[in-house]
Amino acid sequence: MRRELTAAVLLTLVAGLGACTNNTKTDDDLGVDTNRQASGAIATDPKDSQGPAAEVPGAAKGGTVTVIRQTKIAHLDPQRAYSFVGLNASQLYARRLTTYKDDGQGHVTLVGDLATTPGTDVNKDCKTWRFTVKDGVKFEDGSAITARDIAYGIARSFDLSLTGGPTYIQEWLADSPQFDTKFDFKSNKTGLPPGLTVPDDKTLQLTFAKPHCDLPFAASLPATAPVPAAKDTGTQYDAKPVSSGPYKITKNEAGTQLTMERNTAWDPATDPVRHQYPDAFVWSFGPDPVTQTNRIITDGGADQTAVSWNGVDPSLVSKVVGDTALKDRILQAPTPQHFTLTINNQRVTDLKVRQALNYAIDRDGLIKTLGGATFAAPVTTLMPPATIGWKQYDAYPAGKSGDPAKAKELLGGATKELVLAFADDATFQALSTQLAGNLEKAGFKITLKAIPADSFLDETKKRDNPWDLYIGSWGADWPSGAAILPVLYDGRAIKDGGSNNGASYLNAPALNAEFDRVLALPVERQGDEWAKLDEKIMREYAPVVPLYVQVMFTLHGSRVHGVFIDSIFGSPQFVNTYVK
Amino acid sequence: MGTFLVRRVCLGLLTLFAVSVVTFLMFFALPRDPAAAMCPKNCDAQRLERVRDELGLNDPKPVQYLRYFKGVFAGRDGCPAPCLGYSYVNNEPVRDTFARTLPVTLSIVIPAAALWLALGIGLGMLSALRRGTVFDRLAIGFSLSGASMQLYFVGGVLLLVFVYTLKVLPYPHYTPLLDDPLAWLTALVLPWCTLAFLFSAVYARLARAQMLETMSEDFVRTARAKGLPERLVVRRHVLRAAITPLVTAAGLDVGTALGGTVITETTFGFRGLGRTAIDAVRDGDLPTIMATVLLAAAFIIVANIVVDALYTRIDPRVRLR
Amino acid sequence: MSMTPLEPAAPHELATRSPGRMAWRRLRRDRTALVSGVVSVLLVVVALAAPLIRLAYGVGPQDDFKDDLDRYGMPYGISGGISGAHWFGLEPGQGRDLFMQMVYGMRTSLGIAFAAALMTTVVGVLLGIVAGYLGGWVDAILNWVTDVTLALPFLIFTLAVIRPLELHFYGPREAVPGWFRVVVLISLFTAFGWTTTARLVRGQVLSLREREFVEAAKAGGARVPRILLRELLPNLGAPILVAFSLAIPAYITGEAALSFLGIGMLEPTPDFGRTIFRSLNYLQTDPAYVLFPGVTIFVLVLAFNLFGDALRDALDPKSQR
Repeated sequence: MRRELTAAVLLTLVAGLGACTNNTKTDDDLGVDTNRQASGAIATDPKDSQGPAAEVPGAAKGGTVTVIRQTKIAHLDPQRAYSFVGLNASQLYARRLTTYKDDGQGHVTLVGDLATTPGTDVNKDCKTWRFTVKDGVKFEDGSAITARDIAYGIARSFDLSLTGGPTYIQEWLADSPQFDTKFDFKSNKTGLPPGLTVPDDKTLQLTFAKPHCDLPFAASLPATAPVPAAKDTGTQYDAKPVSSGPYKITKNEAGTQLTMERNTAWDPATDPVRHQYPDAFVWSFGPDPVTQTNRIITDGGADQTAVSWNGVDPSLVSKVVGDTALKDRILQAPTPQHFTLTINNQRVTDLKVRQALNYAIDRDGLIKTLGGATFAAPVTTLMPPATIGWKQYDAYPAGKSGDPAKAKELLGGATKELVLAFADDATFQALSTQLAGNLEKAGFKITLKAIPADSFLDETKKRDNPWDLYIGSWGADWPSGAAILPVLYDGRAIKDGGSNNGASYLNAPALNAEFDRVLALPVERQGDEWAKLDEKIMREYAPVVPLYVQVMFTLHGSRVHGVFIDSIFGSPQFVNTYVK
Repeated sequence: MGTFLVRRVCLGLLTLFAVSVVTFLMFFALPRDPAAAMCPKNCDAQRLERVRDELGLNDPKPVQYLRYFKGVFAGRDGCPAPCLGYSYVNNEPVRDTFARTLPVTLSIVIPAAALWLALGIGLGMLSALRRGTVFDRLAIGFSLSGASMQLYFVGGVLLLVFVYTLKVLPYPHYTPLLDDPLAWLTALVLPWCTLAFLFSAVYARLARAQMLETMSEDFVRTARAKGLPERLVVRRHVLRAAITPLVTAAGLDVGTALGGTVITETTFGFRGLGRTAIDAVRDGDLPTIMATVLLAAAFIIVANIVVDALYTRIDPRVRLR
Repeated sequence: MSMTPLEPAAPHELATRSPGRMAWRRLRRDRTALVSGVVSVLLVVVALAAPLIRLAYGVGPQDDFKDDLDRYGMPYGISGGISGAHWFGLEPGQGRDLFMQMVYGMRTSLGIAFAAALMTTVVGVLLGIVAGYLGGWVDAILNWVTDVTLALPFLIFTLAVIRPLELHFYGPREAVPGWFRVVVLISLFTAFGWTTTARLVRGQVLSLREREFVEAAKAGGARVPRILLRELLPNLGAPILVAFSLAIPAYITGEAALSFLGIGMLEPTPDFGRTIFRSLNYLQTDPAYVLFPGVTIFVLVLAFNLFGDALRDALDPKSQR
């Protein structure tokens, strides 16, 4: 008995060592273009907004594309969809007022989607915006989409019980963060919020009290998708929203699978960006990134037409990179998801301490902890490189591995005690252990405080949260500083609870005035100004330690083509996808 | 037997009641505030309070419990009885969720249990009868290796070998038995084998130990002394006595497994009751948690009743009261 | 389990030996027991001596060596960076010394498993004997409590309560020390684990109770505690030991399973379960990283299993050699 066991153990050992690896120090550069920068523009020529979208060379009709994702999509209701996956999945069934023409290389043009143009600034003051609805746009039941259906969609986003969606347009129309006090949707379902008018079936007009030059961008979120009032089932609309795009939801098995099939009422001649090549899209929920990666590499059966949403797991990157057969099936691009070691500025009021924190961080080490260059790229700016106008600078140059000596010098020999709160999932456990190590080397004393991952965001969004440091992240809703800097660093946006993700609670009146100044500039002049302001905030206030931007590194099956990482949200985009 | 059943069923209902109370209290211990989850955009203290009122979270706990209890059986709008509650997270009655996930769990557990019981008890008994032989050593070596491994480890290695490397099996994707029996089989064969390998070990060891224990007992010696052939001794006396604890263990294991095989489902990418329950806890989805826990509890209670009823059949020394 | 048949002892020797000494003698003659026992003790010693090993080895569990990792976080060098300084190589990503992580992790895992197994067995045996022997309403109540406990799903419950407990006992700016979660895990394992042993023991007692020797003791006027301790407990030795020997490896596995669901021990407390779970992802890219913890936990669990079995054989005076 013992002998057999010994033999078995030895065999296992031999088998394992047979597969032994030898990793030599050669720096083969993968060429991650982490600085892909959006060169964005708003279409001025109405022709750009006209359909049909140019055919994808080599594309064929038919087949079913499977998208494999770890967790289900939180909301399908277009007024509630706000996660990256919600925004991209809804592109297939929910058309909006505007949308992006995107070559997947960072060149984007904002065009009219349901509207003939990306909006008309009626008085050239960014206060009154007019949209004209295209002819021939239809819901899945064949009925025409009118300006009234779009207005109804915007009106229902005032309903507080429809949680989850963005709040830009509501707040701008109501000129107040408490937009529900200006318009009560539930008691007035046929009415429209203040400033929103529908002069006729083809025209939609939004009038704001303050200039909002970013409106055409904000209108690209699915919250401007039309909803037929007669089919609105309130919170239950989420299960099966009515389609206006090339695909309609035919089967929704909550948490397991979501099936979208061709919508025959959709007319390609009206659509400047979408195609309708595959017969169906199946969103399959559950498998973790390791399983997703292995399945796509194996490329068996239905997985030949599958796309991994969550990307290659860090543990398998070296295998994927080393396999030349996979080269054509890799998708890689930086995302706008920007991570910071957020400093609670209400608690850590000493600028020197915040600057010392900036010097202390070893970005190279933390990126290795996270899984390397295919998972994260270091960043020293407040805006991710994919932002229009972005410029590289490093306000606290500390080399790639941090400068603990400089940090100690700033602290003046004192030991500063701080509490670092982190979400207790695997990634952030590893990340915060790593960060705490860096900071202790620089003369800080760090208490690590684990917070349940599912309530972490809610807790850090409370103004009076008791922690000094936490990991914050922000994914901009459009590639402009306007969707980043004022959102995160305007002190007037601070709320008791539900401030923005990763809030640093910085409130500097001088900065707040700067935000107002830049926001009133024409969009094309804002880019440079945001970049200047970005550097100013970091140099004068150091409210956070910019850490890294997430990199999307994913795979697709051998028979699926035309998938690209979109330049706005950094997630797989399916409008050009086909099976062959 | 009749009174026994009535008694046990009543006790079982009482147990279910206790389980539901404990689960209810546990839910309110969750770090996630159900009101915060339901609280709309721009949630502030006043709004949160309004949501609490609306959800009835400010009522005394017993009142809340009764309201919940009523909801499970009486149903509500959009969800006729017995819908087992309406999940706002999934946007469907929990009954619909179960209709999808229960067959998955059943398909994993029932064949796997048959496999692990047959394999485990068979190996254990044979090796007890042939103790000291090479067969005995190999059988026990095999079973102990199984018992010494992690489910997700074995599952991960099997997936790597059969699905990712040899490609003889497709990645497990649940297909209902009636839709396509072959697809059902190929999807489930790996989880069955993994479960059988790991669980049979427990039974092989237990069966062997029990057999040896019983074989040395006085009544077996007496039977042998009477001149009864060894085969009859084993069949009439040893098996019967040895199987009692095995039935206990099997009943418990199968009952528990039916309530959800979280690790197996996660390892092989299935969405059965187990994954549903875990996600429900993460999402703070009370109706789903409650219904899953109650269903799992019901499986275990039924398994227990069956086990106790089987005792009398197997071991005449046990009396039912 | 023992493979070496014992020679029948000479009658006069038998008369002078206590049963305990006889068991010890049998155990020492059993080579399987010897080897598995030595391995178990060795690993326990390694776990207990972790700080001393750290001193001798010169690297701590939290020291990281990021410069020895490539741009993807994979260690440079042969088989996951094995070298004179890092015997088992480095962890990919974190770049810590794998050997030290395992030594300290084993301490955590073994500590939890031992304590949980001990508590479980003590509670389970006591309640099982009391219920089985006394019968009547005591049995009915204990049985019902057992049923409720069995019917509550362990994983869901643990997932739900583990973090609120920490929030409850520690202030928002206080770090929760690693030992607190250790204590919570042991308590949870005990609260849910005692039932298996209790049921097993109760079933045995129900069988034994009707036996001649108990009837004889009763007829002889023995009091209840005496019957329980003198007559029943020694006869339950085998199943209790089997249960205990199964419990330790089962809790090692169970603790690892919690890591699988993200509710095991947290960084920076080293933990064997978490190491194994994390390493499994690297099966194809860094096999050495999987092999060292994987083989170690396999050997650890196997050694405990083998030793438990050998102990059972040795302690059971009736099992024929």
